[in-house]
Amino acid sequence: MGDRAGWQGLLEAELRAVGRSLEVPPAGDLTVAVRQRLEGRAPGRRYGPALGPLRGRLGWRAALAALAALAALLVVMVATPQGRAAIAHVFRFAGVELRQEPGPARHPGSRASLPGQRGMSLERARRQVSFPILVPAALGRPGEVVVSDRGRVVSLIYRRTPYGLVRLDEFAGHFDQLVFEKFVHLVEVTEVRVNSTRGLWVKGPQELVYITRDGTPAAASARLTTGNTLIWGTWQVAVRLEGNLTRTAALAIADSAH
Amino acid sequence: MRSVIDDGEAVARARGGDLDAYAVLVARYTLRAHRAAFLLGAAEEADDVVQEAFVKAFRHLSRFRVGESFGPWLLRIVANETRNVTRSRRRRAALALRLCAAEPGGVAADGPVDKVLAAERQARLLAAVNTLPDNERQVLVCRYFLELSEAETAQVLAWPLGSVKSRTSRALNRLRGLLVPGEQSRVSHG
Repeated sequence: MGDRAGWQGLLEAELRAVGRSLEVPPAGDLTVAVRQRLEGRAPGRRYGPALGPLRGRLGWRAALAALAALAALLVVMVATPQGRAAIAHVFRFAGVELRQEPGPARHPGSRASLPGQRGMSLERARRQVSFPILVPAALGRPGEVVVSDRGRVVSLIYRRTPYGLVRLDEFAGHFDQLVFEKFVHLVEVTEVRVNSTRGLWVKGPQELVYITRDGTPAAASARLTTGNTLIWGTWQVAVRLEGNLTRTAALAIADSAH
Repeated sequence: MRSVIDDGEAVARARGGDLDAYAVLVARYTLRAHRAAFLLGAAEEADDVVQEAFVKAFRHLSRFRVGESFGPWLLRIVANETRNVTRSRRRRAALALRLCAAEPGGVAADGPVDKVLAAERQARLLAAVNTLPDNERQVLVCRYFLELSEAETAQVLAWPLGSVKSRTSRALNRLRGLLVPGEQSRVSHG
């Protein structure tokens, strides 16, 4: 019996690891399409031979291009607000949900904190989180390393850089979990390429709140960010880089992260 | 000051016809639903499946019980839509799941030996999963690739809890047989 429990537990752990490395094409943003369907402005989708083979041949790389176009479209639409409740303008990317509405944080410099945050060495942090920690060579070793919420997030903090305070929050990239919510004007959001993957460049200070494992916002984490933010991710780790950075500087830092 | 709305509140407002509140749920669950649809076999039709599922879910919100968790409730609709798609494909071969190609920061062929070995083992395991009968593959996808609990898996696949347990166990046995040839005889009854 003990033997059975042993191999089974091992096999289950291996299957979970495989699950995190599976190739899953990126999902399209459906908020607009679903809304149009519900408002009766667009016909229903049909499955089957009409679309199937063509889409199959095009593959998901074409779908990705379509997604990029859709994302751009979404941003453009938001740039001309129609006075509708702004809550509809929600965009999710790499564990971060961007929302165009006033957020819960009001004051910069409030002593915001992530749940259970603990400072430690980079080496110890590497042993405590399940994802590889990316360290940007352009900035060198971080002045401070903080692990929060039982290893769900690691933050690298650089206090003295040419750009002032720079902060990287990193978390597992393979899950479709929600880790942060940002409250922004989506007109300030542009798509960029980081190390040949997709990234988002968000200009200007934003209100940021941490979303716990059970999906609720952690009130104590709400704060106004400084400067601009770059968000990107690999299938293993997602990163948000924050600081008083130009876009070029942020991309250079991101490119140097290994 | 405005607070973020949680799932329960979004559902309650969407039920009253508030499409803005429903958009929050769509944004929040698109990736999860898409991953489930893709891995359960919708392949390149995953986006269509998920769109259809969100539209149906909205129309069936009255059946959603207060206090229930929205994720598994939605995924049941997604799984059902996925079945509709795969059924219409009939005899086309089941989707073969694949591992991510190595990327910067991933496992390269010239990486450390233990990483290469681990990647090889993962590839073998996944190849074995791909050969399993449909039912067993589905239960493994739910339990280990979507990381759902047994109860959530039962809800999503619309099976009794007992079937989830027995099919999981049978699938794990069969996988073991495929990976360790010496164990084959023990699982041949599976």
